[in-house]
Amino acid sequence: MDSSTIYYVARHELTVNIRNKWTVIFALVFGALVVGISYVGIIAEGFSGMQSFTRTSASLLNLVLYLIPLVALTMGTLSFTGERGTAELLFSQPVSRTEIMLGKLAGLFLAMALSMLSGFLAAGVVIVSSAGTEGILRYSYLVILSLLLALVFLSLSIVVSMANSRKAKAFGTALFLWFFFVLFYDILALGVTLLLDGPRANTFLFLSIFGNPVDLVRVATLIALDNVTIFGAAGAALIRFLGGTAASVLMLLSILGCWIALPVLTARWLLQRQDI
Amino acid sequence: MIQAEHLTKRYGAFTAIDDVSFHVKRGEVFALLGPNGSGKTTTMKTIVGLCVPTSGRVRIGDLDVRTHPKEARTQVSYLPQRVVFPESLTAREIIRFYGAMRKLPRELADRSLAEAKFNGASDKLVGEFSGGMVQRLGLAIVAMPDAPVLLLDEPTASLDPQGVKRFRDFVLEQKAGGKTIIFSTHLLAEAEQLADRVGIFVGGKIVAQESIETLRVSSLANGTIEDLYLHYVERNQP
Repeated sequence: MDSSTIYYVARHELTVNIRNKWTVIFALVFGALVVGISYVGIIAEGFSGMQSFTRTSASLLNLVLYLIPLVALTMGTLSFTGERGTAELLFSQPVSRTEIMLGKLAGLFLAMALSMLSGFLAAGVVIVSSAGTEGILRYSYLVILSLLLALVFLSLSIVVSMANSRKAKAFGTALFLWFFFVLFYDILALGVTLLLDGPRANTFLFLSIFGNPVDLVRVATLIALDNVTIFGAAGAALIRFLGGTAASVLMLLSILGCWIALPVLTARWLLQRQDI
Repeated sequence: MIQAEHLTKRYGAFTAIDDVSFHVKRGEVFALLGPNGSGKTTTMKTIVGLCVPTSGRVRIGDLDVRTHPKEARTQVSYLPQRVVFPESLTAREIIRFYGAMRKLPRELADRSLAEAKFNGASDKLVGEFSGGMVQRLGLAIVAMPDAPVLLLDEPTASLDPQGVKRFRDFVLEQKAGGKTIIFSTHLLAEAEQLADRVGIFVGGKIVAQESIETLRVSSLANGTIEDLYLHYVERNQP
């Protein structure tokens, strides 16, 4: 594997995406929402002004869980199912398909990370200036987990693009994945528990977290924010089972790592066997 | 220099190319001639490793494209049928990127760009380019690495007469430089003017491989080269 090729492809992809109007629109919308949610959150409780970082992080979690997977899947599918003439010229160069795939993934991730970081940073500056720095570390956990969530769904978007040669079909599959992981999965998991008895239902619910990267990020963020009590007894059991807060977060991060690595390996396997 | 041996490519029940074999000598210009959908592009893409053949193999020099794809592609410069570049990049950014893919110095990329005569448009966004300028950029990228083999897939398919002339000059220049060139076309005149030898494709099969001289001699007895070509096509059309 040639790291310089990955670097050049990543830089190329980053430049193309940074100049893409949709990336700029995403950065502006995301930044506006982050700042807006932070402000609206405290108004709803009868106060005026900005919330602290801790409260903002909890408020932002849902925005991150809904928006980031959608944008990552869309950007990834758009890039990996791009113009045929571009792909043919690129893949005919004396470089490996894996290097191109990893470079494109890195470039896309950097473009998305820059958009997200500009939003988080804008909100951070506003919060520091009006509510101080309390809870800034917890806010940074949310930022890191959001970036990981973006990387997971970008990796999934490559598999989607490799498995569907037609652009429209790939977009349909990407939207289905978003719907499945963000909206349908939890309902499905809860539905299954109705068919199981008490202890088995608890075990199933606990294990179901690992089957959905959105749930993994949700749980890891709430643990990092010390808000796991929101899960009640199940949350306490989860922390105890995983061996404490730090160990829980580490374990959840490792599983998120698998959610990045497995799609990348699957996409690599598909790409090696595919006609360009 | 290039040896295609019993290449077959199937997509489910459809056979795109069927037991295609040919050999192109070093410094030779070989034209793949045939109607649309006859398997020319699939053959081109298989030579450069973009298509994985169902059976058969391609060798470039001593290198098997299947087992040594990266090394084989250092010997080849390929121009796809329809070149598309990101519209938000400048010509200079694009050519430097493709130079970096081949580990060529930046100065060489800049020199290739200067030789393509963009007249001050080198730092303009490709989105502002005309079709002819995009083609010139494509040819500049293909010529830049000085690869011994050029593969050009229907390079004049959507060009105006000026673009066609530019392409012909390009091929003649590269031929004079000793390059081995394979190009596909459905224009007889183009093949006659540029190629040393043609392979006639019909229905995924290569039905004839003749030198241009042989075609000319045969056509004296049987009408024009066009008549001869149509004779091959009609006789072998499924």
